[in-house]
Amino acid sequence: MPRPDDNSQPRLAAGCRWSEPTNGERILLFPEGAIRLQGTGRDILEHCDGQRTFAEIIRELQALYVLSDVSRIKKEAGDFLQQLQQKRIVDF
Amino acid sequence: MPFVPLALIAELTHRCPLHCVYCSNPLEMQKSAAELSTAQWLRVFDEAARLGSLHVHLTGGEPLARADLTELIAGARSAHLYTNLITSGIGLAEKRLQEIVDAGLEHIQLSFQDSREDAANAVAGARSHALKLELSRHIRQHRIAFTVNVVVHRQNLDHLDEIIALAEELRPDRLEIANVQYYGWALENREALLPTRSQLENSMRTIAAAQERLQGRMRIDYVIPDYYGRFPKACMGGWGRKLILIDPAGRALPCHAAGVIPGVHFDNVRQRSLDWIWNQSPAFNKFRGEEWMQEPCRSCDRRNDDFGGCRCQAFLLTGGAAATDPVCTLAPSHDVVIAAVDRVAQQSLTTTSEVLPLTPWVYRKNP
Repeated sequence: MPRPDDNSQPRLAAGCRWSEPTNGERILLFPEGAIRLQGTGRDILEHCDGQRTFAEIIRELQALYVLSDVSRIKKEAGDFLQQLQQKRIVDF
Repeated sequence: MPFVPLALIAELTHRCPLHCVYCSNPLEMQKSAAELSTAQWLRVFDEAARLGSLHVHLTGGEPLARADLTELIAGARSAHLYTNLITSGIGLAEKRLQEIVDAGLEHIQLSFQDSREDAANAVAGARSHALKLELSRHIRQHRIAFTVNVVVHRQNLDHLDEIIALAEELRPDRLEIANVQYYGWALENREALLPTRSQLENSMRTIAAAQERLQGRMRIDYVIPDYYGRFPKACMGGWGRKLILIDPAGRALPCHAAGVIPGVHFDNVRQRSLDWIWNQSPAFNKFRGEEWMQEPCRSCDRRNDDFGGCRCQAFLLTGGAAATDPVCTLAPSHDVVIAAVDRVAQQSLTTTSEVLPLTPWVYRKNP
């Protein structure tokens, strides 16, 4: 089961996109479903533009969460992206 | 808490080049002349988005039979709806595929009837299998989500591994394998379609192994027939709770089959706003809440999980739409489901699983 490595460039998979923002809320739309994202999950996915590498994303998240340990950010972001990859919501 | 129609099912037409023996369309279909116009559909999409709908599922019949499909897809996207096309693929040449992708289509669900060409064509009542194989290759050249849908039943469940292998070659993001649900045309053909318990148990093992093997490459969803469940399904997430279906003539229904329930007037988007239909109409409120429930549902701990199951199935099998769905093992009328399952078990003792059914198929007609 793939996990993102430092050079992976995660992006939303084909047929997955953000909804139009309403009331400051962001909803991720995909075939047969939608998730309301806030907090860390939203921060991670908003960085997944297919350009930034996983290592760059972690560095940027670290700047957002200065009090968190970098290895923990890396593990949690990796777990999250792996789960979404299995659901075919993210590619890397 | 207000209910929101998260998904709009737009049954654009009942016209279809296929005649599948398990079609979910009603036995009484809407004629071409009665179909909503382009402008009427576009209004429905806007109204649905304002009510909170996120997805629109364009289906039929065969939605490609609508000459204005590209315009409808563009309109759905302008309304900010996530746009999904459910199709047999018949009539979708490369050029038209390019057009509908350019119009903003985000997800395509292509149906296959079987992995074996002869059997697939026999179920569809048309020579369609080879066209679908070719179309799959074109679809994969576009950056849209691709799901392969396969309906399974007693006649093809024994070669489920072949069906999964075919899907792997087509490289969809997702494979949806669904057992037939017994409404409309499928109920007419139930004797030949309902699988045996052992077929179903084998199929669940095959699916679990394939899901593990293909994890991260192709997602597999499997829908089992509710006749073998212990409790009913929360059909459509509950009556008028999550989904709204508009039929080709503009009638708003809580599901594909609800039109069979007698004594309920389903309002039409030609006369009423979608907001009124969803929030105020007697039809959409008929089976919301708990007041309508009978025992054992009324005092059951599961009443807020499955809402007593499916109202259409309750009506079709017991004659009473408010009854407990007879697939529930607690239902007073559960014996009708046991009898159907037992008949299948008896038949399977005397025949091997051959392609020819014991009863002749009732093919879906055209409107």
